[in-house]
Amino acid sequence: MIVILFFLTLFLASIAAGALGSIVGIGGGLIVIPILTLFLGVDIHYAIGASIVSIIATSSGAAATYVKDRITNLRIGMFLETGTTTGAIIGAAIAAYLSATILEAIFGTILILSLVPLVRKIGEEYPTKQELKGLAKKLNLRGDYVERDGRKIEYNATSPGKGLAGMLVAGLISGLLGIGSGTFKVLSMDLAMKLPMKVSTTTSNFMIGVTAAASAGIYFARGDVNPLITAPVALGILIGASIGTRLLVKARNTAVRKIFALVLAGSAIEMILRALGF
Amino acid sequence: MNLRDPNSMNRILGIVLKTGVVLSGVIIAIGTVLFLTNHSLDNTSAYLAYNPVLIPHGSFPVSLSSISSGLTSLDPSSIIQLGFLVLLATPVARVALSLFLFAAEKDRRFVYLTATVLAILLFSMLATPLIPLFNG
Repeated sequence: MIVILFFLTLFLASIAAGALGSIVGIGGGLIVIPILTLFLGVDIHYAIGASIVSIIATSSGAAATYVKDRITNLRIGMFLETGTTTGAIIGAAIAAYLSATILEAIFGTILILSLVPLVRKIGEEYPTKQELKGLAKKLNLRGDYVERDGRKIEYNATSPGKGLAGMLVAGLISGLLGIGSGTFKVLSMDLAMKLPMKVSTTTSNFMIGVTAAASAGIYFARGDVNPLITAPVALGILIGASIGTRLLVKARNTAVRKIFALVLAGSAIEMILRALGF
Repeated sequence: MNLRDPNSMNRILGIVLKTGVVLSGVIIAIGTVLFLTNHSLDNTSAYLAYNPVLIPHGSFPVSLSSISSGLTSLDPSSIIQLGFLVLLATPVARVALSLFLFAAEKDRRFVYLTATVLAILLFSMLATPLIPLFNG
C-alpha cells in the first residue's frame, strides 16, 4: 500500500474511533487495533502502541470540552484512579507469568455477563438519588451538572468500595493486556456506584488518559510508537473527539447507554475472538 | 488568575488542556505535511517492518537526544514524536493541576489522594521505561 492511502484510511477510521470513544468513555483501541492488524496488516506491537496514542488523544481531546461543561466528576475520577494505576502496575509486573489467551477469554466473558444488568436498566435516564453515606460521605463523592435544557442534575455515589475494586481489576486488565479497559471502568461506575451515564463515560474518559500515560513511556522507549501510524491516528482522534464531545453534552443518558451496550457487546466479541486466535 | 480560587483554577485547567491538545495537534500536523510532501507515494512496508532485534528502530527516533537532533534538521518523524510527547504531557499536567485545584478548595484528603496518583503516574512513566529514552 502507498503511504498516502494508508494515511487517509487510518485518519478516517480514527475520526470515527475518536467520536465513538469520547461518547462512551473508551479509548478507541477497539476500532483502531483491528483496522491496523486485520485490514492494514500492521504488526500487533505497533497496533498496541497506536492504541495507547489513541487513548491519550481521546481522553485529552474530550477533556478540553468536558472540563468546561463540568460533567466529568474529577473527585470520583481521582479517587478511582488510585485503584486503576495500582492495578496497572501490578498487572504489568505479573504479565509475564500469565497467559494472555486465558485473560482475554475471562475478560470477554465478564463483559458478556455484564450486558445482563446493563440491559436491565437500559431505559433509565437518571439513577434514583442515593443516600450519601460511609466512605462516599467522607470523601464527598457527589456531584451535579447542568443539562442543556437548564435542569441541574444532582447525584450521590454509592458503594465506593465496590467501585474501587472494579477499578483495580480494570487496571490489572490494562496492565496485562495493554488495553484501556474503559468499558470496565464505565460498567463499575454505572452498575456499582450508580452515577448518571454521562458522568460515568466522561469520568472514564479522564481516567483512561491517566492510566494510558502511565504505561506510554515503556511503549515509546521500546519503539512501539511508530510516527507513521500515530500521526494519522492522533490527528483523526482529536478531530473525532471534538465531534463526539459536542454530541454527548446534548445526548440523553439513555441514548449514551444504548450506544455503550453495543460497544460493550462488540468489545466482548473482539476479546473472545482474540482468545480463540483470530 | 487567582490560584486560591477554585473557579479560576478550573479555568486554568481548561486552558492548559486545550493549549496542550491544540499544540500537539499542530506539531503532529506539521510533521505529517512535511512527511507527505516527500513520501506520499512510497510503499508503507519500508516504514512498518517490526523487528524486535533491531530495537530501537532505525527508521524513527525513540530517545530525547535523537528526537532533538532530528528536530534541528526538520526530520518529519522527530517532529511527530515531539507532538506525541506534548500530548503525553497533558494528562500529567491535568493531574498536577488538580492538586492545586483541591488545595484551592481546601480539601486536604483529596490533595493527598491526588499526590498519590501523581506519584504513581510519574513513577511508572519515568522509573524504568524512560531511562533508555534519556540515554539512547
